[in-house]
Amino acid sequence: MSDLVQSDFELLAVLQRLKIPFGFKEKSIQTICREEGIDLNFFLNLARWYHERDFFPGETLMNHPVKWLVKYLRSTHSCYIEYHIPRIEEEIIRMESLDRSGGHNMQLMLKFFREYISEFTTHIQLEEEKIFPYILSLEENFEKETPDPEFLKTARGYTIKDFLDEHSDIEEKLVDLRNILLKYLAPPSDNCLFTNVLIEIFRLGNDLNDHTILEENVLIPQVIKLERDFHNKFPR
Amino acid sequence: MAKVLIAETSYLVRKGLVSLLEQTDGVTELKAAGHPDTIVQTLKEFSPDIILLNSAIQMPVTHDKLLSLLHDKARFIYIINTPLPEDSPANHISVFDTKNKLTEKLSHHLRQYESAEEKEETEELTPREKLILKHVALGYTNKEIATKLFISTHTVISHRKNITRKLDIKTVSGLTVYSLINGIIKMEDIQ
Repeated sequence: MSDLVQSDFELLAVLQRLKIPFGFKEKSIQTICREEGIDLNFFLNLARWYHERDFFPGETLMNHPVKWLVKYLRSTHSCYIEYHIPRIEEEIIRMESLDRSGGHNMQLMLKFFREYISEFTTHIQLEEEKIFPYILSLEENFEKETPDPEFLKTARGYTIKDFLDEHSDIEEKLVDLRNILLKYLAPPSDNCLFTNVLIEIFRLGNDLNDHTILEENVLIPQVIKLERDFHNKFPR
Repeated sequence: MAKVLIAETSYLVRKGLVSLLEQTDGVTELKAAGHPDTIVQTLKEFSPDIILLNSAIQMPVTHDKLLSLLHDKARFIYIINTPLPEDSPANHISVFDTKNKLTEKLSHHLRQYESAEEKEETEELTPREKLILKHVALGYTNKEIATKLFISTHTVISHRKNITRKLDIKTVSGLTVYSLINGIIKMEDIQ
């Protein structure tokens, strides 16, 4: 496992989101996955995608239980909310405090970013509080002999396709922020800090992009299929 | 901008050309094929603008038939397995050519495919676009802007598309920030 990380440290993100603890010693990937109760193929598919990029294991990922992917996406969310976003916010605050230009540009960026945070939080809340619980119950009830009547009622009046309409583009504003910083702002006094904020915004943007790819190309199609199977198994 | 097909049996030469063309400006799409049948198949489906064909390959069809599979402006560059004489034609490259020589020849051919419309398009906003941007930043809807400026909503939308393309900023709040930074509107205007 440590060889894998050494060959591509970006994979640390995958490990973190699957909550694989450090201290690998000389253990193999297989051993660690077994110890952590993670399906080896699920892990390898994700890792391979992160590493190779031109290979997207959409079909293969869809064959795994949907709850694994939901768990993965959930840890990604908390990673954004608890770490990445506050960190970028702090850095913009620091840039503002160092800004001696006398203008309000950094203040504007901060305001803009805070608007983004609130949009982003709403988006994530919708998924965490409505979408994911629905998906998990769908899978759980599908496996039962008779589904929970409460859930059956919900399932008959709802489809994940409705959610797709609400699924707003959370990257747009971040891309705007990035472009404004990159193209239209003269860097403030601390250049290193400024560059670092940009790098972090780029990183977050790429990561969000991956997140969206997983949601739209694996999770949603998988749930649509599950809904079909569910309604076939429990017809009206 | 050109689509390029590399038709070369030698694995090493094929990969070498792929790697070289990937660093060359003006290549929009790149495909490589080694087997004669695959080459013919790819020619049909891909419809390349430039074909780098090794002259030693025995094609399953005649040269005329090959030409008929291509569009009018497509051209061949021949890969020759021997060193080239001084006065070789411009569309011959040799496996013995240096990197500089190859780049020079390939760029020469690729330049023929530069289209006129891609040249020199200013990214500065026109005064009209600035005026539209000002109104967007102030929070007016497309319809309100159209009424205020006596133009159609359609025109407003097309201006907005151009503004977004030029500035790389999509959201209204992003455009507002841009306008504030560049003095198109003032802080007091939006409070």
